[in-house]
Amino acid sequence: MSQGSPLLTLSAIDKSFDIHRVLNSVSFELARGEVHALLGENGAGKSTLMNILIGVYSADAGKLELEGKPLKISKPSDSARQGIGMVHQHFRLVDRLTLTENLLLAADDHPQLKSRAAAREALLSTAKEIGFTLNPDCQVGELSVAEKQRAEICKVLALGARILILDEPTAVLTDSEASSMLAAIRRMAESGRSIILITHKLREVVGFSHRVTIMRRGETVAAGLDTSDLSIEKISSLMMGSSSTSLSPDGINSKKAPGNIQEHGPDLLAISHLNARRDDGAPALTDVSLRVRAGEILGLAGVGGNGQHELTELLSGIRSASSGSVMIDGADALGLSPRQRRKLGLRVIPADRMASALVSDLSIAANLSLTSVVSGRFGRLWLNRRRIQREAQASIEQHEIAGARPSGRMGLLSGGNAQKVLLAREIDSGMKLLLAHSPTRGLDIRASALVHQRLREAAAKGAACLLVSEDVEEIMALSDRICVISAGKIMGELPGDASAADIGRLILGHE
Amino acid sequence: MSSFRLTLERRQQVSTLRSTTTYILGLLLGLGFGLAVLLAAGAPAATLLDDLVIQVFFSSMGLAQTLTLAVPLILVGLAATSAMRLRFWNVGIEGQLWLGAIGATLVALSDFGSESLRLPTMLLASAIAGAAWIAVPLILKLRAGVNELVATLLLSNVAYLLLQHLLFGAWKDPVNSFPVSPRFDDSEQLASLGFGNLHSGIYVALGITLLMAILVQKSRTGFYVDVIGRNRTTALATGIPVTATITLMILLSGALAGLAGGLIVTGVEHRLTQTIGINTTFSGIVIAFIARFNPLAVLPTAIVLAGIYNAGGTLKVFYGIPDSIVVLIQGIVLLTLLMVQFFRSYRVSLIRQSAPQSSQPST
Repeated sequence: MSQGSPLLTLSAIDKSFDIHRVLNSVSFELARGEVHALLGENGAGKSTLMNILIGVYSADAGKLELEGKPLKISKPSDSARQGIGMVHQHFRLVDRLTLTENLLLAADDHPQLKSRAAAREALLSTAKEIGFTLNPDCQVGELSVAEKQRAEICKVLALGARILILDEPTAVLTDSEASSMLAAIRRMAESGRSIILITHKLREVVGFSHRVTIMRRGETVAAGLDTSDLSIEKISSLMMGSSSTSLSPDGINSKKAPGNIQEHGPDLLAISHLNARRDDGAPALTDVSLRVRAGEILGLAGVGGNGQHELTELLSGIRSASSGSVMIDGADALGLSPRQRRKLGLRVIPADRMASALVSDLSIAANLSLTSVVSGRFGRLWLNRRRIQREAQASIEQHEIAGARPSGRMGLLSGGNAQKVLLAREIDSGMKLLLAHSPTRGLDIRASALVHQRLREAAAKGAACLLVSEDVEEIMALSDRICVISAGKIMGELPGDASAADIGRLILGHE
Repeated sequence: MSSFRLTLERRQQVSTLRSTTTYILGLLLGLGFGLAVLLAAGAPAATLLDDLVIQVFFSSMGLAQTLTLAVPLILVGLAATSAMRLRFWNVGIEGQLWLGAIGATLVALSDFGSESLRLPTMLLASAIAGAAWIAVPLILKLRAGVNELVATLLLSNVAYLLLQHLLFGAWKDPVNSFPVSPRFDDSEQLASLGFGNLHSGIYVALGITLLMAILVQKSRTGFYVDVIGRNRTTALATGIPVTATITLMILLSGALAGLAGGLIVTGVEHRLTQTIGINTTFSGIVIAFIARFNPLAVLPTAIVLAGIYNAGGTLKVFYGIPDSIVVLIQGIVLLTLLMVQFFRSYRVSLIRQSAPQSSQPST
C-alpha cells in the first residue's frame, strides 16, 4: 500500500485550546484504497486531528494536501465537497425523520440526490454494496443504536465519500456484527475508497488494517507502519508508552478470581417472569427471569436492540413492566420510584450516560454530587455548596479525572473522563446492586480496564453486578455466570468460563 | 456565472467575552430599533432623552411612578422565571394576576377575618388564587400531557371574563358608573411611603426577589430545578422528585403572579378594576429572558421596563402616541436579543461561488 504518491497528507499540524496544546506537529498520510488505523488513548488527539480534517476545527499551523495539491478546509462543507466523510460516535441523524429524509437533509451539495426516490435508491444500493440491510423509510428514532450506526455509515457513503473516517465503528456492535462491518470496510477499501479507522480494539487493527498510525499525548509516535510487521503487543506498548503494563488484546488485564463461583451470597436481584413492551407497543421482554447474587457478576450477552435497553430502564425505575416481579435485596421493587430503589442499594451505569445519567450543561461538581444531593447528604433544605465543590475536587483527584475542575462544564469532558465521573458517583458505600449497560462503549484501553477493575472491585466487596453488554469479550472477561438475551427472551445460562462459540450459538440460536 | 450562497456554522466554543458582548450588543441594538420606532411614530427627537431617561429615572416624581409600576413587574418577572427555569411556558400570567386581584378583593368585600390581619390575609388570598389558577394547566400537563402553552393562555381569557362578570355584576360599585368594585377600607390598603404613589408593596417585591434568589441558588430544590430543566431523563433516573419539584415551582409561579394582582389592588387601585395587569404575561416573559432567568437580575430589568412604561404614559398624553408602543418596544428588544443570541453560537458567511469546483467526489 506504499506505492505511488499518497492521497492525503497532513503534515506538522499544531492545535491548542486555550493554553492546552492538544496536537504537537502531528503528521498523517493516507494512501488510496487502504484501511489506515489511527490509534491512541482517549485524549491522545485523534478526534481533534480528524475534526481538523473535516473542518470542524482549524489547525493553528501545518499543511493539508490532497493528491499533492494544497487542501484548504475551513468548514465542514469544504471537506464534504472533497469527498471526505466522517461517521462519528454520536450520530448525525435527526430522530424524527426517516433515513431517506436524513440523506436529503445532508444532500445540499449533491443535486443528484435531490429527489426522494434518488436518495432512497442511493441508500439501498450503498447498503447492498457493503452488505447491510436497512429500511430507508424507517424513522431514525425507532432504530437501535447499532442500526443507527449502520444507517449513518450508509448516509455518509451515499453522499459520495471517498475518504471515510470511522470513529470506533465497532464499539456498539456485537462480535458477529463487527466482523461483517470490518469485512464491509475491507470491501470499501478494495473498491478504491480510503478508510481511516479509529478504534481501540487492537485485534481489529491487526486483522483488518493495512497501515497503522499511533498517537500519544498529541504527538505521532508511529506513522504509517505496515500492519503486517506489527504484533498486538508491539502496538499496545507503542500506545501506552514506556509505562505500559502488559495488556491483552482488548484491554482486559486480569482474570476472574478462580473459584469465586461458590462464594456468592444471597440474591440481591431477583427478576421473575418479567414482561414489558417497547415504546411502539411491541413486546420488548418476554418472561424474563434472572437472579444476581451478592459478590457475583452476571453477564447478559446479546445483540443490541433485543430488549437490553428496556430491561435497564425498567430496573432503573423509569419504565414500567406489564407483568412479573423484580426484587431488589428482598424488597418488591417494581412499584418503587428510582429514588426508593437507590435507597435499596441500586446503582446504574446506563448505556447512554449523557442522556440518562449525567447533565452536560451543568458543572462537574453538580454531576458528581447529584445523587448525594438527592439522598440529602449535602443538606435537606439548603445545600452546602462549598462542601459540594470540595468533595468534587477530592473526587476528581482520587479518580484521576483528567482535565476536570469542579466548576467545569460536564459536556466538555471526553467520554472516558465522563464515565469516570459516573463511576465515582455511582460506586459508593451504599451500593448493593450495580447495573452496568455497555459500560466501556467508546472508551480506550486504559479507561476500559479501569471500568472493568471497578466492576470487579464492586463484586469483590459483595455487590451484585448485572453487566449488560453487547461486547462478548467483555462479558467473557468479567462474568461469573453468563445469560444470553435474544428477542427479549433469556436464551439460556452458561458458566463464566464458557467459550465465545457457546455464547454465540445461544445468541444466534433463536434466529 | 457566479452565485452567492449563505452558510451557517456552529461555533466551536463561545467565550464569556463573546457571550457578554453579544448580549449587550443585542440589548443596545434592540433599544436602538425601539427608539427608531418611537421617532417614526412621531415622538420628538429633541426631548426623547428627557422623556425616556431623565423624567422617569432622575426626577423625584418620575422615579416614584417608575418604582410603583415596577412592583408588579418584578413579581411577574419572577413568576415567569420560576416556570421558565423548568422549561414550562406559563403564558397565563395575566390570568393568574387577575385571579389574585379577585382573591384579594373577595377577602376585602366580605370583611373576612379580623381587621388587623385583613391586609396580610388579602395578599395571602391573592397568592393562593393565582396558584389555584395555574393548578389547572399544571394538573392537565402532569396527568394528561396537555400542552401548558395552550392551557395557560386560554385560561387567561376565562379569568378575564370572570373579572368582567364580577365587575359588571355582583361586585359593581353602586355609587360609580364605571365597572369597578367598591373602594377598599383604609385597613385594606398598603401603606403609602409618601413618595408619589409608591406603597409598601415595594418591600414585598424586594423581599420576594431575595427569597427567590436564595431558593434558586442555595436550596436543594433550586438544584433539582437546574437538573430537571436541562435533562429530565437524568433527573428521573437519579431519583430527583421531578413531579413534586415541578408542582412546587409552577404553583409558585402562579402564586407570584397572583400576588402581583393583590399588590396592584391593595397598593395602587384600592379597588378591583378591569384595566389592571394588561400585558403582564408578555412583560413577565420579556423580563425573565432579559434577566436570563436569574432572580436578582429580574429586579433591575423590571425597573428599566417600568421606566419605559412610565415614559409611554407621557408620550401618550403629550404626543398622542398609543401606549401599545411600549409593548412594541418590549417585543423589539426581546426579539433582537434572541436573534443576536443566535449569532453568538453560529457563524454566518456569504460565499461567492464561481465555477463548480474542479475535484468532484468520485462515485
